[in-house]
Amino acid sequence: MVTATKSVRQLSSLPLPVQLISKKQIQRINSIRMSDLLNEATGLTTVADFGGGEGIQMQGLDAQHTLILIDGLPLVGRSAGTLDLNRLAVGNIEQVEIVKGASSSLYGSEALAGVINLISKNTEQGIHGAIGYRLATFNTQDIQADLSYGTKKFGISSVVNRLASDGYDLGNDPDIPTVSPYENYTFSTNAYYQFSKKSKLSVAGRFFDQEQAYVSSNELAGETNIEEWNLSGKFTHTFNEQWESYVELYATRYYSTEFLNEATGENFSDANYDQRLFRPEVRLGYSPRKGQSYSAGVGFNHETLARTDFIKQPEFNAPYIYTQYDGKLTDRLNIIAGARFDMHNEYASQVSPKLALRYVLSNLISLKGSVGYGFKAPDFRQLYFDFSNGTVGYTVLGYNAVEEAITRLENNGEIANQLVPVAAFNQDLRPESSVSFNLGTDIRVSNQLKFNLNLFRNNINNLIDTQIIATKTNGQSVFSYTNVNKVFTQGIELNGNWDFSETLRISGGYQLLYAKDKEAVKAFNNGTVYARTSPASPSFQLSASDYFGLYNRSRHMANLKLFYQYTPWKIDGNIRTTYRSSYGQFDGNGNGYLDQYDPMVDGYVITDIAINKSIYKHYRLSLGIDNVFNFKDRQHITSIPGSLFYTKLNIQF
Amino acid sequence: MRSINLLFLFVLAVMASCSSDDKEPLLTVKVDAVANLHAPQEGGRGEPISGDFTKFSFETGQITTDDTNWDIAFRGTSIIVNGGVSLGTNDEPARSGNAAIYIASGTMASVNSVEESQFLQDSDNGYAIQGGSDNGWYNYAGDPTHIISPIPGKILVIRTTSGTYAKVEILSYYKDAPANPDAFSDPDAYYTFNYVYQPNLGVSTFE
Repeated sequence: MVTATKSVRQLSSLPLPVQLISKKQIQRINSIRMSDLLNEATGLTTVADFGGGEGIQMQGLDAQHTLILIDGLPLVGRSAGTLDLNRLAVGNIEQVEIVKGASSSLYGSEALAGVINLISKNTEQGIHGAIGYRLATFNTQDIQADLSYGTKKFGISSVVNRLASDGYDLGNDPDIPTVSPYENYTFSTNAYYQFSKKSKLSVAGRFFDQEQAYVSSNELAGETNIEEWNLSGKFTHTFNEQWESYVELYATRYYSTEFLNEATGENFSDANYDQRLFRPEVRLGYSPRKGQSYSAGVGFNHETLARTDFIKQPEFNAPYIYTQYDGKLTDRLNIIAGARFDMHNEYASQVSPKLALRYVLSNLISLKGSVGYGFKAPDFRQLYFDFSNGTVGYTVLGYNAVEEAITRLENNGEIANQLVPVAAFNQDLRPESSVSFNLGTDIRVSNQLKFNLNLFRNNINNLIDTQIIATKTNGQSVFSYTNVNKVFTQGIELNGNWDFSETLRISGGYQLLYAKDKEAVKAFNNGTVYARTSPASPSFQLSASDYFGLYNRSRHMANLKLFYQYTPWKIDGNIRTTYRSSYGQFDGNGNGYLDQYDPMVDGYVITDIAINKSIYKHYRLSLGIDNVFNFKDRQHITSIPGSLFYTKLNIQF
Repeated sequence: MRSINLLFLFVLAVMASCSSDDKEPLLTVKVDAVANLHAPQEGGRGEPISGDFTKFSFETGQITTDDTNWDIAFRGTSIIVNGGVSLGTNDEPARSGNAAIYIASGTMASVNSVEESQFLQDSDNGYAIQGGSDNGWYNYAGDPTHIISPIPGKILVIRTTSGTYAKVEILSYYKDAPANPDAFSDPDAYYTFNYVYQPNLGVSTFE
């Protein structure tokens, strides 16, 4: 069952492209963090940002365009646009739902590429608990304990997790380890109280705390600290068979601080980032008959951010309202139609409609298609940043900070040449927006053999990029943000699942992807792009076919997984392989585009194996190797440290 | 074979008739290259920039220290031209000539004629060849490589101090033009470039 549409539905009946990762699967592959899990899903890959955070790329769109939810509630804290998936422990997750295609009609900003929703375990009746310990390479130790108690009336479950690691060093810099040692704790609790058959109160809280060494040179060292909490309370009331409603309050805070000290102990720099979101929401649901439901919600986002190098402490106030119809027009045709209206104090209002259809052609085949609008609001950094680099001397200004900051720089005599007039920043910066199309089919050859195929296309407008707006007297530039780029991503996704026998299951997936900038396509077509093969060779003209596309996008991604289970011995094992074809990380020949003469990161294959054995009723012992063939590309991929060996013991009662 | 010989004779005849029409024989166009023209700067990184520009004359094909008889000059990533007025930075030479410059898009082979209307001169507002990444002749990669690389397809077209024309393609900013320059270990501000000089006054093509 999935909740992707804010109501619980069976996966196979949804008109949207949805993938599920179940608790069973998480346990069999012994994942501990979201980043491990998502890398194995078809069409998804994690991309590391400069800060080392790992974000998800979905349908070829950036990490900042996928909304990450826990039980339907959004996480904040994207210091460079990326929400680091290593923050999210998966030990107490019932399932992960991956919904592809723009979903702003339900979730508002950020749900441009899609949504990833982590669903917490339901509290079972009685007392249950488990303790798990996992030891891996680099002295990576994960300890988790969970305890739950439930009756029909009341239930509570809590999880404590500690993850600590020595980090690792790929040896790119003699003074700076690739990943510094870290230690983090996650506490989470869910509780409910059933007042009557009709009224239920649920509360949930999560707290995450991480400390990590921070080394920036052989002279500068310090520490990074992250504290994050989420707190929600929801009161659900069912009036009668047709009507139900809930009131929900949600608050979250992401707070990170970092400092660097010189070898003498003197403080060199301090930085902090403090983001808070408070959101009340009321929702009403009406289902006149079975298979027919209307829902409507109204809410309010109040968001603040205090951050080093900001021109002011910004505040976002954004009321919203949404409505959705989900129903069967005929026995064969299911339709979901919805729309959401987001108002905002800092940028233009957004209307996000969505329409999705599923038609059952026969027992064998069903067709589904969806069209949706997605948007991502300009983030705080793009609006209010006011940062001058102390050593190199360049300046980065948020769109709304330009006027004030340029006046200040001018008065200080720091501006040599104003290239873009300040008046150009009078209008509001527009949200990045997208129209996404998905067209697919589910083919059920038999109960054992199933396929699904999905064609997708995302047209993105007003992508926000940096531009140089002035030159400084020190020869450096002043950068700001602007809506310029139009890009598209399109491709095919194919998944197959074959239950070969009771003991053997094979699944595989493939994604073909083209992700390109429309201006770049035009420039290559017009023959105005040039390259050179080496610095000492003269330049030559490139043709349309030389354009590779956007950075960090692989044309092909595939996975193949084999799960084996031998019940008499209570043993199960699996082999999983993922492949990513070559991609480019930067423009190596200075023409501003990624073309086939640029240095590419070679394609690679990663194979993981795991063996689990249950002993008696309550014990489970696991052994495994992630990245068996010790793939490494230390120059280009710092998030892959090579082979990881682990062993895990889990005790359940 | 016979037709080729005939064609060859015909070409010779045309060439002979052309040169007999001209009053003066044209000088040949000079195709040359300069390696490791060193143009260091002091300061930068937030400090005022100073240091002598390294001046170059296309007529001699050499570096020069002459105050007036130079065409373009280099300091760090800045390129100035002997025409217009000084931006007023420290140690910047006065402009004595009427030289001018612009950046054409194309390859060394495809940029074959001069567009007189495109020429720019230095001013107290900025140089004719704008500084900064992707504004002029180079691209600065920033973190983590910090490499300065000449933008492919950018040809500098120059009107020299004596009124003749030249075109330049910069190939490298690092000493000995390494195939994979390292901004941390390869000495920078060493220009390597190809150029073509049209020595005939009034001829605005490079063929």
